[in-house]
Amino acid sequence: MNDDLLTLYYYKDGLTEAELREVQSALEKDPSLSARYERLCDDLAQFDAQDAVAVAADVTARWHDSIDRAARIERQREQPAGRLLHIPSFAWGTVVAAALAIGIGLGFYLSGQRQAEHVIDPGMVVDLTPEMRSPSIAFARGLQVHLQESRHDLAALPVDAREERAMLITHMIQQNRLFERAAEQNDASDLARVLRAFEPILMRLAMNELPPGDAEALQAQLAFELNVMLTKLERSASENTGPI
Amino acid sequence: MSAFRKLILATLLISAGAPSAAQIEDSERLKSSALEALISAPPERALPIVSKVLSGDSSPSLKKRALFVLGQIDLPEAQTLLVETARTGDGSLRLEAIRMIGIGGHPEAMAELAGIYADGDGETREAVLQAYLIADDNNAVYQLAASTQDPEEFERAVNTLGAMGATDELRALRDRPGMAEVLINAYAVAGDMETLAAMANDSSDPQRQAQAIRGLAIAAGEGDDVGEILVGIYRDTDVPRVRKAVREALLIADHDEAVLQLFRASDDAAEKRELLQTLVMMDSDAVWDLIDSTLENGQ
Repeated sequence: MNDDLLTLYYYKDGLTEAELREVQSALEKDPSLSARYERLCDDLAQFDAQDAVAVAADVTARWHDSIDRAARIERQREQPAGRLLHIPSFAWGTVVAAALAIGIGLGFYLSGQRQAEHVIDPGMVVDLTPEMRSPSIAFARGLQVHLQESRHDLAALPVDAREERAMLITHMIQQNRLFERAAEQNDASDLARVLRAFEPILMRLAMNELPPGDAEALQAQLAFELNVMLTKLERSASENTGPI
Repeated sequence: MSAFRKLILATLLISAGAPSAAQIEDSERLKSSALEALISAPPERALPIVSKVLSGDSSPSLKKRALFVLGQIDLPEAQTLLVETARTGDGSLRLEAIRMIGIGGHPEAMAELAGIYADGDGETREAVLQAYLIADDNNAVYQLAASTQDPEEFERAVNTLGAMGATDELRALRDRPGMAEVLINAYAVAGDMETLAAMANDSSDPQRQAQAIRGLAIAAGEGDDVGEILVGIYRDTDVPRVRKAVREALLIADHDEAVLQLFRASDDAAEKRELLQTLVMMDSDAVWDLIDSTLENGQ
């Protein structure tokens, strides 16, 4: 059971009743899965600065409209990069759904925060309406999670188990492409370029014939770049200022 | 930690030289952390520190990290320094600077890449193509492909366009003589089913047709029904090379139903043998029934 599915379970969105029951049952039976889920909950809860609020029916309907629209756009788009790796459509769909769930879930909580801000500071209403800010903030938060996970995955890459290593890197590339497209859709071409620049490094890391020393250096460089981008995103989120 | 305190730490750490060989590794780690912290500093303060690292005697890996931070500094001077490093820097640092220009995507710095490409060796040219890919600059790569007479250079540029999914630019290059195979591969990578289907149906050059047929199968996603197109091509031709390409394409695209359809429609024993062989290679469930009925009825 992968983190994408657990993320959907966490937000209780995008899964059927049967799937929800299946995940719940698996969590009850498997202590290691349960522990992993706990860690994931901690990560996701970092973004839940406020208590969850009951979701209004019209808001839920808007989420689902957004999901449908995004899915239609995704279907209509040619996906040349994806073809290179022959990503199974199920996995792709799961990843899209997970990202949407993260983005939408976070967008919701943040929009809840913003509604509170409106009460405190009416001046914010003029240029920071939920409709205007929600997609970009949700994306930025989702990207932070992605970068954190990439950093974690990178540090955990096995050195000797080649197949497992290649599989993990392939997964990282898939996720990275997803967020690269999301960056483009959110008019964040600067972030899209950075994400695109990660891919050749990941590709090289997946090569079996890469000498260990070179692999180590590449991993260290990528880890550094991920850290810098995370710091930059966190700073932007907290200060809402431009790049350095 | 506040940005100011991070800046002080960064300045102290980066200014300090490595005191002894035993401390080099720790020193590198600390300097790397300090560089990382610079991203929070005001650009006008971060720039001189990064410049100092680049011009100093730090390790190449630390300098590469400094280049990444430099690329994130939104000042014209930072871009100028990147371009300068891309032109005159040492070895891998020069290539890394080219990558950072792609990440930055600043038009003035991007414009310099054409000159760096023209003057550069193979490695440099590869790095420039990758920078264009990172910056998603289809047109720049197209210009390189369209203007070169060197087949290898053309191939590298076309491969890059394929990876970028630049179907319009690739279609504009379709008539380049002698480069059909390279272009077909790029169409397949770019997922340009329309162009591949047109080329697969064009019987004027059997070799090119066979390549396009295989490309079509490679590019086909789960939602693309290439089986029907391939069966149609098979039926319309009697050129062995083209028929073989269709069988291989059906194998690549895993269309055992289409192979089965051709097997049942054929009354040529040799052809049936080849189609049966294809089904065996596909590990198709239908093959066992076929073998059974072939053994029983000789059909």
